[in-house]
Amino acid sequence: MNNNTKSLKYLRPLLQADFFVLLKNKRALLVSFVAPLYIVFITNITSKHATAGQSKLGGAVFLVMLAITIGIMSTSIMGYAVTVARDREKGIFQRLRVTPAPTWVIMVSRLLIQVLSNLVITVVVLVVGSKVHHLSLSFLEYIWALLIATLGGAMFLSIGQALVGLVKSATTVNAIGTLLFAGLLISGLLGPSGILGSTFQNISKWTPVGTIISVFESALHQVTWDGHSWLSLLTCFGYVIVFSSIGIIWFKWDSNN
Amino acid sequence: MISMPTNKLNNQSSVLVINDLTIIFGSNKAVDRISFTIKKGEIFGLLGPNGAGKTSTLSAIEGLIKFQSGDILVNGLDITNNSLKVKANIGVQLQANSFQNELTINQIIKLYAGLYSVALSPAAIVDSLNSIGLGLEAGKQFKQLSGGQQQRLSLYIANMHNPILLLLDEPTAGLDPQSRRQLWDTIEHNRQNGGSILLTTHSMEEAESVCDRVAIIDNGRVISLDTPKGLIEKHKHDPNVLKVSRGKVTLEDVFIGLTGSEIRE
Repeated sequence: MNNNTKSLKYLRPLLQADFFVLLKNKRALLVSFVAPLYIVFITNITSKHATAGQSKLGGAVFLVMLAITIGIMSTSIMGYAVTVARDREKGIFQRLRVTPAPTWVIMVSRLLIQVLSNLVITVVVLVVGSKVHHLSLSFLEYIWALLIATLGGAMFLSIGQALVGLVKSATTVNAIGTLLFAGLLISGLLGPSGILGSTFQNISKWTPVGTIISVFESALHQVTWDGHSWLSLLTCFGYVIVFSSIGIIWFKWDSNN
Repeated sequence: MISMPTNKLNNQSSVLVINDLTIIFGSNKAVDRISFTIKKGEIFGLLGPNGAGKTSTLSAIEGLIKFQSGDILVNGLDITNNSLKVKANIGVQLQANSFQNELTINQIIKLYAGLYSVALSPAAIVDSLNSIGLGLEAGKQFKQLSGGQQQRLSLYIANMHNPILLLLDEPTAGLDPQSRRQLWDTIEHNRQNGGSILLTTHSMEEAESVCDRVAIIDNGRVISLDTPKGLIEKHKHDPNVLKVSRGKVTLEDVFIGLTGSEIRE
């Protein structure tokens, strides 16, 4: 058995504990599910009043994908980052680090639970959204949606990681995370509509929310997969690389150092 | 890193060897060339005012902070090159009882049993909890326990894998006299089973009651090291000690005489 294989034996108890903690964190769970489902339902009501099933914000697929994006964004930025910052401040990581478990296993466990949470949110919102908005997605399109949601989750998790890498205090992480979430939400919701002008519309296309929505739309055949789609996909990967690098390089296990 | 002769490094009777340990935070030298050893079955106390370097020394042994120079060997293993093996051989109780509030006592024990590779059946967990007086609390969350109960659980987890060296950072801070006595009994029981203990404390009573040897450290340096009685004998005629003594010289007089009367933050 090599060292990495030996290290994996520590993953099981950590995953179990992190899963229990996630389930107990009812407020975060509620926000992660309620916000996207609210968007799914409220946009269905408003789109009934719009012509040809199109709301002002975009088509049904766009709205469902936006809801998924908001769900995974809230759990990754507001949930993951705040929990990591809080646990660091309370010394929970210090307690885990004095055990024989390597530090990378401790962090991988946290991330895997978050990825699982993102996937559950995606499936729930996709299924509910499809019913509410009468979408007829093929099995392949469901798979595509899950894959893109995983990429989106990785992107928002890397943003969350960068946030806890750069900011030590849990209170500050919470405050900045909330502002970041609101900023990204506004850019995702209002940017594509052009309500805030063409400059903001162009900028919003390249924000994390804008790029992932663009990839969603292209992959689910709402728009043709073209150069912009490729660039959006590459930008998503770019965001993952840049933000996770920042988050890993600057991350401190102890908030006092 | 300072190289040491092999025969000195492999001193088998010493569970912990610290040689010329130096820890620097920015421009602050928190620990300045500290050296001491702990033998098998020995209870060793680190006494010092706030900011003296006690917790930094412990954190370096625990592998939580990097040190600039010196050597730390646990059971002959150099911590720099064998960090995870050393961690498997030591038990740690941190100053803060840092367990996830959301987890129940049962779940916390399962988590740490998994991390220390200790096979515990559900019946064994119940027995363990009964033995530390937490049999009825198994389903409670950590935050629902009293300070004494949290401390008992913390000590149980630090000890669950029968470590050869137990590191306790101010283990009785904030405990009532009953809980403190109970903890001392546990420490003594651990020693009788051959375990060695390194503890930091502000309590002179604790140092005198449970420690075989004590090192007084200040400004990152060991300023005196001996048995509690030996320290009193060694320094009872020191003018600084006599100045603070109110009659028969005590360990507290020696401590204040050597480290000064001013309050540290």
